Amino acid sequence: MTVDNLAPRPPLADATPYHFPAVHRSAVGAGRVVAVDLPGHPLVALRLVHDAGAASEPLDAAGVAQLTAESLRGGEHGDGELVPELERHGAVWNSSASWDSFVTGIDVPVNRLADATELLARTVRHPALRPDDVTRRRDQLVEQLRIEAAWPDALAARMVGGELYTGRFSVPRSGTPDLLAKVTPDVVAAFHAERVATAPGTLVVVGDLGRIDAEALAGDVFSGCAASPAAVGADAGPAAEPTPRIVVVDRPGSVQSALMLAHRAPARAAADVPLIYAVSDVLGGMFTSRLSLELRERRGYTYGVNSRFELRRDGGVFATACQVATGDTADAVTVTVAETRRLIADGIDDAELDAVRTHNVSGMPVTYATPQAIAEALVNIVVYDLPDDHVDRMRAGYEALTRDSMREAAAAYLHPDDLVAIVVGDASEVAPGLEAGGLGPVRVRQA
Amino acid sequence: MSVRTNETAETISRFRLENGLRLIVAPATSPGIAAVNLWYGVGSRHEAPGRTGFAHLFEHLMFEGSANVAEGEHFKIVEGLGGAINASTWTERTNYFDTVPEHGLDVVLWLEADRLATLREGVTQAVLDNQRDVVKNEKRQRYDNVPYGTASERLLAAVYPPGHPYHHPTIGSMADLDAATLSDVMAFHDQQYGPDNAVLTVVSGLDPEDVRARVERFFGPIPRRAEVPPTPDPGLGDRMTEAVSETVTGDVPQPAVFMAYRVGALGTREHDVASLAAALLGSGEGSRMYRRLVVERQVAADDDEMASVMPFRYTPGMVMIGVLARDGISGDQLEDEITKEVAALASGVDAAEVERARAVLERDHVRSIASPTGYANTLSMYTQLFDDPGLARTWPRRLDDITAGEVAAFAADALVDTNRVVLRYVPAGEQAEQAEQEEA
Repeated sequence: MTVDNLAPRPPLADATPYHFPAVHRSAVGAGRVVAVDLPGHPLVALRLVHDAGAASEPLDAAGVAQLTAESLRGGEHGDGELVPELERHGAVWNSSASWDSFVTGIDVPVNRLADATELLARTVRHPALRPDDVTRRRDQLVEQLRIEAAWPDALAARMVGGELYTGRFSVPRSGTPDLLAKVTPDVVAAFHAERVATAPGTLVVVGDLGRIDAEALAGDVFSGCAASPAAVGADAGPAAEPTPRIVVVDRPGSVQSALMLAHRAPARAAADVPLIYAVSDVLGGMFTSRLSLELRERRGYTYGVNSRFELRRDGGVFATACQVATGDTADAVTVTVAETRRLIADGIDDAELDAVRTHNVSGMPVTYATPQAIAEALVNIVVYDLPDDHVDRMRAGYEALTRDSMREAAAAYLHPDDLVAIVVGDASEVAPGLEAGGLGPVRVRQA
Repeated sequence: MSVRTNETAETISRFRLENGLRLIVAPATSPGIAAVNLWYGVGSRHEAPGRTGFAHLFEHLMFEGSANVAEGEHFKIVEGLGGAINASTWTERTNYFDTVPEHGLDVVLWLEADRLATLREGVTQAVLDNQRDVVKNEKRQRYDNVPYGTASERLLAAVYPPGHPYHHPTIGSMADLDAATLSDVMAFHDQQYGPDNAVLTVVSGLDPEDVRARVERFFGPIPRRAEVPPTPDPGLGDRMTEAVSETVTGDVPQPAVFMAYRVGALGTREHDVASLAAALLGSGEGSRMYRRLVVERQVAADDDEMASVMPFRYTPGMVMIGVLARDGISGDQLEDEITKEVAALASGVDAAEVERARAVLERDHVRSIASPTGYANTLSMYTQLFDDPGLARTWPRRLDDITAGEVAAFAADALVDTNRVVLRYVPAGEQAEQAEQEEA
């Protein structure tokens, strides 16, 4: 049955230009506050940002930042009562170490903010870090890392650093089971004392500022703080082995292979950020990207593909990831490399330019629709020392994209000759095809 | 103490079009966006024998073109708007999400109306074959190629008897996916996809009457279904009568124990009590299982979501437990420890534990409606399942008067061995080692 009186496709109304909300900065004691007002919003996102990320760890203590973040969950008394107490306030605890920051925080209904913030402050400044509790958490993290490696995509992702870098970036952010097992409670306590305990950090507050006494909150959080310690850069050099090459991690019986095609990328400050993200959006980041259309919509090889640049203060990684049926493994690698080369050689067309521009520009009100998402943007601004109008500048950068600038950026930022293809799958099934594909030498190793 | 859901003077507006489409309009907490949610009352429980996985495969085809939308154009338009787009299929529903900047609302309503009215004119054999391959890869990626990936499928199969519409998993079987034909697609769209079988929700800053007029323009001309097909009978008692246990030996990193108990359906008092009991037992770091199995006895891998309730509306639900063992802990020992904790509920729980569980469930509910996308989805769900969108704001109040005694009485009655399925996973190597030890 045809429905013949359907309304025709409507014209697209003009978009209302998006502006990131005003950022309010203040200094309280030794610390700084960065806030955004969301009048009427019932939830508050609070984040305390320290310059104590995984990149600052010595290689032989890899994972100490993440273990410290985890150990804070033990709370002020080391009895694990912190999180349950927050649960009773309807709050959610966050603590994690990224490469470049150490972030603690809470998401909480605005009417419970004061009590929950007091708990946050006491925990971050004066945690018990009881040796037995830290040891238990460490041992569980070590086992967790081993368990995760049974998931093929997680295993491939954990291997990327070691194939591209020496130094701290050669090891995953949360460490390896062997390295983490050697991080003692004393090392955790020392890391906390040096980098977190009395370093004020920056407090990010997103919520209904009319109902929040930000100064009082900051007074709690920054009480007793001294100056921040000097920043520590990452020791990160390039891996020695020649590229391009393929590493197969044998997983006998796998019905799919997890692929990760990766190369090094510039440090965040060295990249033109809207441009570099736009390049990966067109290649594999959007649903309508070239790789998604080719590998999923045309060939049916995969449920989904993704590519992205991860830009850190001292270096970065570009990676394309997907999981494909075992029989399609070699072909998927060949297609991915060919599409990358084609993007560099021919640039993008007008439709792709329009898509990547409007995708990023019109999508901003959707991206920043929750207090947590706005808080994340503010954390980024704090960690990378970006201007308050960073999001609006990003928007302007996307609006200014051209086919020429995109072609130049693809050539500057994509390096298929430097790729390492990590393939977690059944080696006996996939290695011969990968050899024949000719990307580079194939090395097979055990999981 | 529990944290009250913020019940402001916010209004939820309801409309019903002549063709039966139910429309819910509510204000967004964030400016400049429109979250559109279409919740169809069709899921894997409606699948014909030999066609498991079809409702979900069909969901994929909904993105691949209709009479006035070319293949690939749906994604292109919504992605070009910077929108968030997705869909999901489950036993009782198929829901489609598009959250876009406000100026994109009309075009999204048009896209949704076009595929509802005219999908049959756009779908092709080539598209069916391609999406069948995509879905088979989704099944491999999410279920077949990962440790413990078959757990939910096995629990469903044990708790709901063969022939029952909830016996099979929504993802279906490879053979049934292979068997799906283009005429199946045509028939399914004809029988299940009508405005009279859908709830449309729009969360935005627009005036409700304005939204209603737009929806009327795009959806008004679509006729209701000529015929409503019968729904497979979901009738089933609230208890099983015999203990069931199953052991899977395979490529898993640690021994694991899963359990399922059959309990009352979503909407019953028992289901509310069961959700509180499950949260008390295994949700959050203050839960009993976390405190005892992870922290004190250190037999369970760290996981703060070890128990939950499967909220089926039209058939009994399941209390589900899933725990991985620590190094050196056997599956037998882990099963004993979990069994002890579950059994202990019947001997009594503290009022404070009930309060914490209530706060956790309320927190989770508040978070689920905190984003415009989540709020729109929740409004659709409660309208489809209970004809009451207001439940999106008041649901946690149903838990307010549940007492500690009621939780213990529920546990004594429902969380018993004869109403339980135990599913164990054993690492292949470990079983071999045990066998050698026994021989020695």
